[in-house]
Amino acid sequence: MDLQKSKQQISSYIIDTQEEEIKRIAHELHEGVGQNLYSILTGLQFVESGTKEPQMKNYLHEMTILIEKTIQEIRLLSVELHPPALTTLGLLPAVKSYSKLYTSTFGILVDLESFGVEKPIPEKRRIAVFRVCQEAFMNIAKYADSSNIKVNFIWKEEELTITIRDFGSGFEPESLNLQHTSGLSAMKERMLHTGGRCTISSKIGEGTLIELSLPLNVE
Amino acid sequence: MTELRELPAIIEVCEKLKTAAACEFVGLALQNETGPDVRWHYASGNLNDKYKRITVRFGKGIAGKIISSGSKMMISDFPNQIFGKVTDYPIMLAEKLISSYAVPLFFNYVPKGVLLVGNRESHVFSEEVQQMVDDSALVLEQLLKEQIFR
Repeated sequence: MDLQKSKQQISSYIIDTQEEEIKRIAHELHEGVGQNLYSILTGLQFVESGTKEPQMKNYLHEMTILIEKTIQEIRLLSVELHPPALTTLGLLPAVKSYSKLYTSTFGILVDLESFGVEKPIPEKRRIAVFRVCQEAFMNIAKYADSSNIKVNFIWKEEELTITIRDFGSGFEPESLNLQHTSGLSAMKERMLHTGGRCTISSKIGEGTLIELSLPLNVE
Repeated sequence: MTELRELPAIIEVCEKLKTAAACEFVGLALQNETGPDVRWHYASGNLNDKYKRITVRFGKGIAGKIISSGSKMMISDFPNQIFGKVTDYPIMLAEKLISSYAVPLFFNYVPKGVLLVGNRESHVFSEEVQQMVDDSALVLEQLLKEQIFR
């Protein structure tokens, strides 16, 4: 029993350290590299506006577009690593914001609805649930062959339930490859660390339902 | 931007290429007139309309890498031997493509578009097919210069 508890603590420590590092890199990308590139962009735009020679003006314009693309990609990378909304606004806004990015990346529509009154969740648990949702979304893009996802947040006094349903090909647990099985196990494990649980049900041809529940009254 | 799906000359080039190259999918991605976004504007042989909602990420996946580098790219057995993650290749996932060959479209010497042909099985595109795609890209560049990037 003690050994298992110790293993869980080590596992939690590793996850927390990784999350801290991810958050730091995301912040550096956004506030450091991103801001510097933005300064370069405004400088280039200033030079472009003062240049009369058409060929040089055109070249400078292409350079500004390239910098704009790079800034956009840096911002997306930073948001993908650690969405700022997760720290500032909470789990639901972070998942909503991620859903928009997900649709523009994979073309899969996300229909997200929230029922009940949103409640505050401690940051570590918020991050854990967000990561599980992210993993579920990624699995749908990789394996589900579905054009839309239905996500429900159901807030109750003592528990948050999140359901993520796709309408794709579904699967039989026995037929999964190692990578897919590991991904699903990691989702379950991560929810267990938060004191919650994750159940996955799927049927060939009918899609997959992932249900996450998180107790809200745990300190 | 004028909807490319409504331009018969563009459609004709893509459809001809699809038949001549005997491939299952043809897609055309272009950078928007304003801003840096690159989107898939036309597809033939598509399984769904996901491509219409996908914005190509700069430097990621087959189209993003082509736009950022200006070089051609072939994938013959996706997801084996790819750079980066499977999820960096949204058009391959969305259309269940296993192989693809894609080339850049240049406007004013800058890569601003991608012409991609793909199959839903592993496949090495022959030099003859690669030449067909290259030739079609040149025709599309000319047509798009006349109709859009004037």
